[in-house]
Parts: sequence; C-alpha cells; structure tokens
Amino acid sequence: MNYELVSGFETHIELSTKTKIFCGCTTQFGGEPNSHCCPVCIGLPGTLPVLNKEVVRFAVKAGLAVHGKIAEVAKMDRKNYCYPDLAKAYQISQLYAPLIIGGYIELSNGRKIRLHHIHIEEDAGKLIHQHGDTYVDYNRGGVPLIEIVSEPDIRSIDEAKEYVEKLQQVMRWVGISDCKMQEGSMRCDVNISVRPAGSEAFGTRTEIKNMNSITNIARAMAYEYERQVDLLESGGKVIQETLRFDDASGTTSPMRSKEDAHDYRYFRDPDLVTINVPRDEVERLRAEMPELPAEKRERYEAEYGIPEKDAALLTKYRRISEYFDKAIEGVKSPKTVSNFIIGQIFRRVETEADKEIFDVAVTPERLNELVRLLDSGKIRNNLAKSTLEKMLDTGKGALDFISESDMGGVDDSALLALCQAAVAGNPKAVEDFKSGKEKAIKALVGNVMKNSRGKADAVAAEAKIKELILS
Amino acid sequence: MVTREDVENIALLSKLFVPEEELDGLTKSMQEIIDFADAINNAPASAEGFDNINNLSNVFREDEVVPSYPVAEILKNAPEQAEDHFLVRNRE
Repeated sequence: MNYELVSGFETHIELSTKTKIFCGCTTQFGGEPNSHCCPVCIGLPGTLPVLNKEVVRFAVKAGLAVHGKIAEVAKMDRKNYCYPDLAKAYQISQLYAPLIIGGYIELSNGRKIRLHHIHIEEDAGKLIHQHGDTYVDYNRGGVPLIEIVSEPDIRSIDEAKEYVEKLQQVMRWVGISDCKMQEGSMRCDVNISVRPAGSEAFGTRTEIKNMNSITNIARAMAYEYERQVDLLESGGKVIQETLRFDDASGTTSPMRSKEDAHDYRYFRDPDLVTINVPRDEVERLRAEMPELPAEKRERYEAEYGIPEKDAALLTKYRRISEYFDKAIEGVKSPKTVSNFIIGQIFRRVETEADKEIFDVAVTPERLNELVRLLDSGKIRNNLAKSTLEKMLDTGKGALDFISESDMGGVDDSALLALCQAAVAGNPKAVEDFKSGKEKAIKALVGNVMKNSRGKADAVAAEAKIKELILS
Repeated sequence: MVTREDVENIALLSKLFVPEEELDGLTKSMQEIIDFADAINNAPASAEGFDNINNLSNVFREDEVVPSYPVAEILKNAPEQAEDHFLVRNRE
C-alpha cells in the first residue's frame, strides 16, 4: 500500500530585540553564565513582568509577512510545567488569544501551507547535563520568541524543507530575526503522521522536538515516515508521543509521554494586561513593510522578463535584491544586470553567508554605469565582461579601465580590414576551417576581437570571415 | 468529583511525593478547595468582568537595555550552585 506523509510544523524564532520580553536584560547570545539576568527573568517572587513594546511590533511584522490577521485583542497566559529550565515553573505564553491568526506560506508548487496562528512567549533557560547533575544558565530565559504553528498541510519532505527555507527567508527579510538554526534562534518541532494514499482521515502523529538544521529535519522525517509505515504494515499501531532525533544514528527515540494540553493548566496571566494593537499602528507597520521576496520575484519575472530561476536567486536575500534594484535604475535591460550579478559577481561571493551579507567590491552604482555604457552601444559585451572582472578585482569604476578610444563601434571598412588581417595571419586556422573544423573560426573571431580591443561585433566578424574564406 | 487518581496525577505533575496514607485526606481537602472555587464561579458576574478588573491595556516597556544583576546576586538564593550555574542534583 502507498502511504502519504502528513506533517505540520511548530517553529520557534528568537526575535532580535535588544532586550528580553519582560525585563530590560540584554538578549545578546552567549556571555558568562547567568550574567544577563535580573529578578524578573529568574522568576523571583514579587517581581512584575512588563511587556516589551518592540516584541509586539516584531510579531505584527511577522504576521504581516505571512499574510496573517492581527488580532484586535491579545492576552498572555501561563503554561505550567515543572522543569529546571523555567525558574517560575510556568512559561508566559499565549493560548486563548494569540497575537496573529491564520496566514500562509506559499510553496513553489503553488500549494499554500496554512498557518493556524503565531503567538509570542518567553524562551527557557539552557540546561547542561553533566555527571548526572544539571547546570542551569538563565541568560536565554526570557528572550522573546514567536511560535509559528502551521496546519498539517505539508505532504512531503521537499515541501517541509521549502516551508522552513521560505519562513527563514521572509523572517530575515523583514528584519525580525537572524533565524540561525545552528545557534538555536530558529528551531522546529515536527509533527508527522502517515495515512493510506487517498484517505481523508489523519493517522496518529508523533512529534520530533527541537530540530536545528534543515538537513536533520529531512533525515528525521524520512526515518519517521519509514518507521510509521513499517509499524502499520506489520499490523502495529503508531503511539502518539514526543521523540528526539539522534544525529549520529539518524534515528528517533521517545522522549517522554505526550502531556495533554490541560496538564499545562493554562490560565490568563494576571500580571500582564490585555494587548490591543491599535489599527492605525498596524497600518503604519504595514506601510513600512518592504516588498516581500515572493512579490518581488514575481515582479522581476513579469516586469523585467527575468527567468524564474534567476529571479529566485536575486530575491533569496534582501541585500541582493536591493543591490539589483539600485543597479538597474534607468538601464534598458535589467536582464543584463541580472546576468552580471548571477554570473560574474556570484563567483566572488560563493557561500550562502556571504550572499546574505552581499558585500561586493563593485557598488551597484558602478555596475549601473557599466551597463549604461553597454546600453548606449559605446562598448560591447566582451569588453563589459572583462572590465567587470577588473572592477571586481580593484573596486574601481568602469571608466578607470575603458578609455575614449575603446568606445564606439568598429565601422564596416575597419571590420573588413581586421578580418582580412586575421585570415592572412592565421593560415592554419583557415585550413582547419576549410577542412571542416567549424570551431577553427572561433580563433579567427578571437583575433579580430583582440585587435579591436573588444569593440568589434563578434557576430558580424564571424560572418565576414566566413565570406572571406569561402569566396 | 476529585478522585485519588486526580491527586496522584497532580502530585506527579508537581514533582511531589505523596505518601499513600495521606491520599484520602488530600483528596477530601482538594474537593473542599474545588467546591469553594465553584462557589465563586457560580457568583452572578461574567468572566469577562474578572478578566481585566483594572480595565488596563497596553502597558509596555521600551526596548532599552538595563544593566543586569551581578552573577553573585542572581545565584544568592540558589539552593545549590557550581561554576556560576544553578545546580540541580539528580535525586535518583
């Protein structure tokens, strides 16, 4: 029997506010243990948490970025559980009235992964288990998080990977988080079940906790899919439980029995008052939102005729798209700019980390100047390419490498003279071409381009040389 | 009705050890507490009214860093500590 995979994600993202969610301690990563703490974030009795306004703004931006609805009224709740990573024995979170409702992430296959809601909450402290004892560092305790809860709409491992990548891209794009999975500022809990293909009813799900890389998400899902299918095929039953993924063995194993929601005894936090996000504030934030990557990609395709794959590369990181936007100002062919960026410039910024920063030796203004020279017919493509290489090496402008004498085309009589010289000076290439080696003509064209300092039209030169040889 | 199993379950969630001989007494006490809470619940007032008795909303703090406490102060009330961490011993 064929089984369909069904998956939903709960994704925690640390917001890059300066301070924690309920106190003024810094959110900086690292630091000496327990040095970013105060009575509020270590949960001492008698302290009063006060909500960081920026957390609400960031969460609203996250909501707008995924087309969610911003709730008129939001409230904070206590989620009770007893574990050393939570000093208060409860986490302040949202259950009954989260800040963002609905929304979606659209995948490249056109499917929309619907979001149930996004809520704000505090992160827990870090536990280090050593010699059977537990060492607790509360620096991370109280760092603001948003939790993005998707509907069980994901149907394959590829969709899951793209969902996480898109979420990461858009949250970085709107500037609310760096979403570094390896540093824990983005973590996923993966809910997964299987059902016979064509069936409507959901199977029993398991939850794989705290996944911190896209590669491991894919590995864990592949393992868990096989495990559940094998169980069902052999007449067994999937038990609803929480699992951990072991990186070394590539397998999942039970963590603890799944606690029911009511075991958390959620109730309204009496220390924190109601949040009413004013509609004019929402509209102001909406107006401030940058054009989102998906919208931008579509516009690049429709408006500039850039191929889909290239448009996706240009919009993968916000800085690349901003570079492109500046470089195309007033140019005739944005596609030429795109080709320069994806070709020659990308060869200089190889890693994803470098692409995200996109600190390129050639400023977008200088690339713009080069492309305008090309547009106006003053220089030809070959010269533009070699000039761009020099610009990338030195950071200088195009006019540092191109003199007046390089500009302008080559007229017909000059082209004829250049071609005649090429034919006369390269008898071997001429013979090769005559004996059927089509490629030999390239050497002759190359000679013309070289002697014209890249100004000749290569296509016209090739036609003229053929004419000379064959006449 | 509160049952012995409810008390055992709550004890488990609260990480409390309850001796067998105290279970009946605690079950009875808990029933009395719940009855008292029910009496409040049955009072003629809407839950909405209690939800936000001061009628306050949007009490916020600006996102400005305030110096944290010295580590020694933070750890002062820790039952046990080691290497600038709160130390939780494994009791098993």
